[in-house]
Parts: sequence; structure tokens; C-alpha cells
Amino acid sequence: MRELLRRYQFLLLTIILVLATVILYSYNLRQKTATTFFERAVLTFAAPFQSSIDGIADTVSETWRNYLWLVDARQRNLELEQENLELHSQLQQVQEISLQNERLRKLLAFVDDLDRPALPAQVIGEDASNWARTIIIDKGIRAGLRNGSPVVAAQGVVGRIIKIAPDSSRVLLITDASSAIAALIQRTRTRGIARGRGADLSIEYALRDADIQIGDLLVTSGMGGVFPKGLPLGQIKSVEKDQFGLFQRVKAMPAVDFSHLEEVMVIVGENQ
Amino acid sequence: MKGFFLFMLTGIFFALLQSSVLPLFLSPNWRPNLILILILYLGLSENLPRALITGLLLGALQDSFCGPSLGLYVSVYLVIVLVTRVLSENLNIESPSLLLLLIAAGTLLQNLLVGFYLTVLADSAPVLHILLPALPKQLLINIIFSAIFLVLLLRFQRLFGYRSGLAGLIYQSKHHGS
Repeated sequence: MRELLRRYQFLLLTIILVLATVILYSYNLRQKTATTFFERAVLTFAAPFQSSIDGIADTVSETWRNYLWLVDARQRNLELEQENLELHSQLQQVQEISLQNERLRKLLAFVDDLDRPALPAQVIGEDASNWARTIIIDKGIRAGLRNGSPVVAAQGVVGRIIKIAPDSSRVLLITDASSAIAALIQRTRTRGIARGRGADLSIEYALRDADIQIGDLLVTSGMGGVFPKGLPLGQIKSVEKDQFGLFQRVKAMPAVDFSHLEEVMVIVGENQ
Repeated sequence: MKGFFLFMLTGIFFALLQSSVLPLFLSPNWRPNLILILILYLGLSENLPRALITGLLLGALQDSFCGPSLGLYVSVYLVIVLVTRVLSENLNIESPSLLLLLIAAGTLLQNLLVGFYLTVLADSAPVLHILLPALPKQLLINIIFSAIFLVLLLRFQRLFGYRSGLAGLIYQSKHHGS
């Protein structure tokens, strides 16, 4: 028995001490208004010290106010400068909101033409590599988005969601090398596949004798079921034809400026 | 264990920096791959099992912050850690200029592996149109950032201690080669 007590001496002591403090606390809870001997002793002992400290504090404070008042003036000046800065910052914020409002209006006007419900989202991050072209937006499953949802901006197609989390999503841009979208030339209805090349798009499988001119608008064909038909993808910037071969080499500039992308719309509903 | 968490926390910090802060100032081709620098450093300063495990996790971390699929950087960094280990046994890695050369070689190897994996396995051949023109800029910016890190490291090495698993510039880590 003694051996057991010696072995668990520390543990037993701890338990006893904890229990003792708990009992003491619960006892004192019942005696709220009564001052115990211990409390009275502490108060009595501390009173002169507290009084002295209070006196010293008053003296220091008075000296500070009377003789070093210039510091107060300087402080006031600093406060006013700070207030001025804050007001200036607020003014800039108002201007920023006004610009954002304008961009959102354009975005909404674009989405209204689609006749499909869409959800606005903010771009909160970009790809951590130099070769992949993805962005992160601040909406996810909780907002009703799902993998594959098309993402657009006021100028045209941005990409589609490839990874989704409760409150954020990763969007594969149309300029990514792994992105391929069924497209057609708006003027001639020539079909092709728009593949990403980092900064621009290459139109694959455009037949050699098809009529494609520089400046033609490239739009989604609606094939594949991801993107609605007729959304702008870009504008043709070069057309090359080899002496032989079935297809011509066509490049297009994306309609969206991805380096200045801040707000996007995610198309969530089906065709109406 | 402390070293492992330090590397992971630095990796997370770098990943956030690369995806949220650097894009505000730098175009994609001019963004350094800070995690690659960390991986090379890891390969030089930690023992093999720890370097491998941390390297794999950092790869998974980078995969989560870029590209469409998980596993690319896990594999790429595994190779880079192994190559770095083999090289470090035979090189005087205490020389800062040699470290910068290693960073350049690491950048080339990483681009080569990414290009290979994406072209052969992911059927994303157009990625070469992105990777190749960006390579000189990537080399330059990675070397510049590594040089900055080296200067900072040499300056603060006394604070961290020479043998706390950092650097391998004045003295190698105690874990190195064990």
C-alpha cells in the first residue's frame, strides 16, 4: 500500500489539490457578500501601497499635462493627420466601388443576354506556376457551383471550373495548354477547336479551304455542352496556310484580358 | 520534426506568396518558383528520408496551388530531391556561387520534367509554347530570388545557428549525409 502511494504520490497530490480548490471555490460561491479573513488581510495590507502609487501617478500626470503640454498638441496634430489619411482612403474606396459598379453593370448586361442564371465571383488568386493558366474565385459548393461550370467575363469566355471547395473554386482559363473548346468563326461558321497557348489561342482542325480572315470573331459553338453557344472567345490575329496539308494554322487573341481580371460570372443554370 | 514543420510552413507561405501576392506585381513568366528553391535547399541540407517525405508533401502542396491535376509536382520534386542528393555528395555545396548554379540546373530540370510529363502523359503539347519562351526569364528570376535568399540566410545564419538544419553554407547540416 505504502509502495503504491509512493509511486503515485505526485498524481494523488495533484488530484487532492484540484479537488480542494474546487470545493473552496464552490463554498465561496455560496458566501458572496461575506468578506473572509484572508480577503480582509489582503485589503488591509495593500491599502497604503495603493494609496502611494495613486499619489505618484497623479503627480506624474499633472506634471505631464502642465509642462509637457506640447506633446498633447503634437498628438492632436498626429490624430488629425491620421483622420485626414482615413478620409482620403475612404474617398479612394468610393472611387474604387464606383469603378467596380461600372464593371459589374457590364458583366450583368452580358449575362442577361445569356438567359441563364449566373453568379458573380471575385478573383482571389492565380496559379502558382508559370506554365499553367488557372485562377481562384471566392465561390464554391456552398454557393451552388459545381465542377465544369462555365465562367465568363463582360468581354467573353474566361474558362471552366475544374476544382471546387466549399468556399472557393479553381478555374481553368481558356489560355491553358490543357484547355480545348469547340469554336466557330462567327462570320463564316467555320468550325475548329480553340486550344490554349499561354497568351493566345490556336484554332485546330480548321480546314485549309475554309474562309478565315484576320479580325474575324471566334465564338463558342455550343458543342460539348459546357459553354452556351455564341460566347466570344477571341479575335483572329493570324492565318497561315502551308503548301500541303489538310488544315490551316490559325491563331486568335483571347477576348478577355486575363491580366486585369477581377470579377467574373459563373453560369450555374441550364439553358432556359 | 521541428525542421520538417519549418519547411512545411515556409512552403505554405511561399505557395500563398506565389498565388496571391506575386501575381499583383509580376507577369507569369517573371514569377519565381520559390517552392523549387526550397526543394533544392531541402535536398542539400536534410537527410534522405526527411528530404523525400518533405519533398513529396511540398510537391502535393504546389499541385494544390497550380495546374489542373494533383501528382505532377509530387513526381517532379521527388526526382529533383533525389538528383540533388546524388549531386550534393560530390560537390562543394558550401560555395554560394555553386548553389546558384544548382538553382539554375534545378530550374532547367524542373521545366524539362514538367514539359515531359505534360506532353507525354497529359497530352498537353501546347504547354511547350508556354514553357520554352519563359525559360530564360524563369532562370533569371529564380537566380535573383535565390541570391536574395542566400544573402538573407548568410546574414541571419548566426541567429538560426550553424547546425540547425539550415543552409549548409558555412557548415553543413548535422543531418547531411547521415
